Amino acid sequence: MHCISHAGQSAADVSDDCQLVEAACQGDRSAYGLLYDRYARMVHGILLARVPLNDVDDLVHDVFLQALPRLHSLRDVTRFGAWLAAITRNRANDYHRQSVDEVELPDDLSANESGGKPTSGLDDAETASILTAVRSLPETYREPLLLRLVEGMTGPEIAERTGLTAGSVRVNLHRGMQQLREKLQARRGMTHE
Amino acid sequence: MNDDYLWDGSGEPDPEIQKLESALGKLRHNRAAPAFPEITATHVQAARRPFWQAFLFPRFAAVAAGILVIAAISFFTLRPKPNPNSGAGWDVTRVTGTPRIGRDTLGAQNATGKLGLGQMLETDSQSQANIRVEEVGEIVVDPGTRLRLPDSSSGVHRLALDRGTIHASIWAPAGEFVIDTPSAMAVDLGCAYTLHVDDSGNGVLHTTLGWVGFKLADHEAFIPAGAACSTKRKTGPGTPYFEDASPAFLAALSTFDLESSSPEDRAAVLHVVLAQSRKHDALTLWHLLTRVTEPDRGRVYDRLAHFIPAPAGVTREGILRLDRNMLDLWWNELGFGDSELWRHWERTWPDKSTKSSK
Repeated sequence: MHCISHAGQSAADVSDDCQLVEAACQGDRSAYGLLYDRYARMVHGILLARVPLNDVDDLVHDVFLQALPRLHSLRDVTRFGAWLAAITRNRANDYHRQSVDEVELPDDLSANESGGKPTSGLDDAETASILTAVRSLPETYREPLLLRLVEGMTGPEIAERTGLTAGSVRVNLHRGMQQLREKLQARRGMTHE
Repeated sequence: MNDDYLWDGSGEPDPEIQKLESALGKLRHNRAAPAFPEITATHVQAARRPFWQAFLFPRFAAVAAGILVIAAISFFTLRPKPNPNSGAGWDVTRVTGTPRIGRDTLGAQNATGKLGLGQMLETDSQSQANIRVEEVGEIVVDPGTRLRLPDSSSGVHRLALDRGTIHASIWAPAGEFVIDTPSAMAVDLGCAYTLHVDDSGNGVLHTTLGWVGFKLADHEAFIPAGAACSTKRKTGPGTPYFEDASPAFLAALSTFDLESSSPEDRAAVLHVVLAQSRKHDALTLWHLLTRVTEPDRGRVYDRLAHFIPAPAGVTREGILRLDRNMLDLWWNELGFGDSELWRHWERTWPDKSTKSSK
């Protein structure tokens, strides 16, 4: 697909992703801001699947700042979402490489993460418990589930934003939900004992 | 069960999903965009603007013509030789000993240099070096290693490891960084890994974070964190395995991959591999589906399905005839990474590689 942004057209008028990318490439910061508005939830969800909650918001900004000077290297602007998702996953990997003392996600998020983000919901034990259960799922499942359940994205939206096929996202959501139900059921069983 | 509500919010709402949405929705992203710095558009525009557009204006044409003349004279008269310590290239830092870049040696006094396109970095048995590229990642080069930089451009970063050992931590987007070895190509899919190549060109790759794709022609292997994979000259990647598998399993797999010659031998050691496999070894079993002969494929299918049931859309018959989509669906079920990432790389890499080398 070939995208052409028309001279004089403001970023607000540009509705298509690739036109926003083209506009951003030409120095339009408001266009990049609109891309942020569209993709911040995706980036947030992908990071939430991989790094401690307290650091997620800062890393979201990091990802967008890291991607900005590299926009010109994006050959296929229609793949912006997939490209940004890849940068996000790599940023999460980099986070773990740079961390001296943390590699694995903590098992008990309420105990480890509530201090730095009291309004995030992790003072809510139920939220913390569910998040822990989701994060214990295989990576393939936890990412689409968090995008669906935390970020409120629909399956088609997840597929469109991340560049994955709709079939793959649907299967992963279905399987992930199945496993999550089993985990939550097992936890309920344990607390009743 | 109907999953329409989970898929797109349509259909009858599922109370449990609604409860999860309500609890987890509190964590939804709601932070405003940061103040983005000025977008430096000059090189972007230069890269994207058709070449001829710059010559629409006569004064640009005159200036450009002058520059071309000066550049041509400079090129033919001065012809500067490549200098590893200046200009474009990958930053190399001496860690120990005396690593060499081309004919230049790094030492205590001049500990840094540049590895330019086409140049070779070599460490002897006492030397170690570090390569760092801001946009790509960091590579530690162990003693006794020889590697080259055949290609590095926007979206394509390629090293060739002739022999020795490197430890790579890559933060470039998945699929942008590859290492050629005499027996396979290692494709970064968001990861950290160690790659060793011996003097005969055989190698082994250990992944410590993320996952790596290993490929020779149509022969491919996916190696997630905690796993390793051998590769042999001419035959390419073997079967990946988790390093904590039982010794009997590893010995049998090694025989299956590299040493067996007759189909009878392979069938015999396959029996040991299947019998010794754990659920975690689904990684190995999935790869074996494409590596065994057709009569043995059913046995591998049964063992893998025992640990990880084939998901919806995957049939025994389809797997036995090596249906690519079904294999990918089952791979996704293993939870090591999404196969779509690799398929996307396969679709785009030859194009990238060809264009970059022009």
